[in-house]
Amino acid sequence: MTLAERQAALVRALVTGAEIPPGFAAPALTATRSALMRKRGAEVAQVWPRLAESHNGRWLEAFGAWAGQRAPLGSLRDGWDFARDHPPQTAQARLELALREATFAYDGTTAPRRRKLPVVRLVRAHRRLAAVIQAGGRCRVIGSVF
Amino acid sequence: MSSPLAGRGTGIGWRPEIAGVAADLPGLRFTEVIAESLHSGVPPALSALAERGVAVVPHGVKLSLGGTDEPDPGRVSHLAWCAEVLGAPLISEHIAFVRAGGLEAGHLLPVPRTREQADVIVRNVLRVKESVSVPIALEPIAALFSWPGDELTEAEFLTDILDRTGAWLLLDVANCYANALNRGEDPLSSVERLPLERIAYMHVAGGRSADGYYHDTHTDPVPREVLDLLKAIPGAPPALLERDGAYPAAEVLKSELDAISHACGHPVITS
Repeated sequence: MTLAERQAALVRALVTGAEIPPGFAAPALTATRSALMRKRGAEVAQVWPRLAESHNGRWLEAFGAWAGQRAPLGSLRDGWDFARDHPPQTAQARLELALREATFAYDGTTAPRRRKLPVVRLVRAHRRLAAVIQAGGRCRVIGSVF
Repeated sequence: MSSPLAGRGTGIGWRPEIAGVAADLPGLRFTEVIAESLHSGVPPALSALAERGVAVVPHGVKLSLGGTDEPDPGRVSHLAWCAEVLGAPLISEHIAFVRAGGLEAGHLLPVPRTREQADVIVRNVLRVKESVSVPIALEPIAALFSWPGDELTEAEFLTDILDRTGAWLLLDVANCYANALNRGEDPLSSVERLPLERIAYMHVAGGRSADGYYHDTHTDPVPREVLDLLKAIPGAPPALLERDGAYPAAEVLKSELDAISHACGHPVITS
């Protein structure tokens, strides 16, 4: 294998759960895998703070369990994909997602793009509904999620 | 030849969360900023330090100098821009790779210590030097694992790269401590084998033990043993505290800075 292939095999093993390349100490690579996952989860929590909070102190576990086999796509997309797979359980986290969905168009496979047209997104908050209205790139929230 | 930061004593890594602490250090003469954090310009609090005569070193973390692809021209020109706009005396990056085969690792990964890998790093560093007008310092990283089939010792690998590129050494004593501990080596004798005469400045950081390893977290207190290592470095090179989260009260950071100054024999910067 070339140096480029050896480096690629190592990164695959560390971030997508692929097999550990021969010759490496498995316990040390496993510990590195966990450390990378903790860092990745903490970075996603910076970009998606309400989503992370909605997991009641178990965010790193929840994110790690989901992301273990997924290549990192950057904190914005990692958190977004997670939120679409696990619809947020708190009104605050639902609002955070609705604000992102109103501001960016994200097809789940390519980088999110800023929306050019106005949109409305509804957010279920307890027994009421709030609305996120985006026009000209700015969002307004009608109603309360508290 | 003396370091571009010679005589600048003890510094602290500039982060927005602790900008107030940095601004409040009367003796501060150098700091460092993560180059990739300056994509939307230089924060006014950092410009204010530069105007006060504090040397600001742009510190790259995503250039991937160990990667087999040549460094991304956009990333290189961003580093050059950082150096220029901050009036930096030097820039720094790591002996590491952060991406390969189209995947981002999300952190600095160790490279194999082979001649082929050394050639790749030398080529990449020389490419950066073509575009950046100030010297570069290279930082060996902390890692929990090494590659199978190393051809060179850490000291040989590092010396070869520094000799062929003319780069300075950014010695992270916390990384040295972490690596030695995790490999079951004596930290002091591993440090003493390195080309210490090439040090431009040093990094100091805290860490913690977990799962049978010492992790260089930058979010924990600096251990006594790391301060002791500082005392063993000849020539009192400048030393910079890196803190990257779980920020403690200003007084705690200031007492760590005092401890570093004391260990290195630098003037106190906190009063």
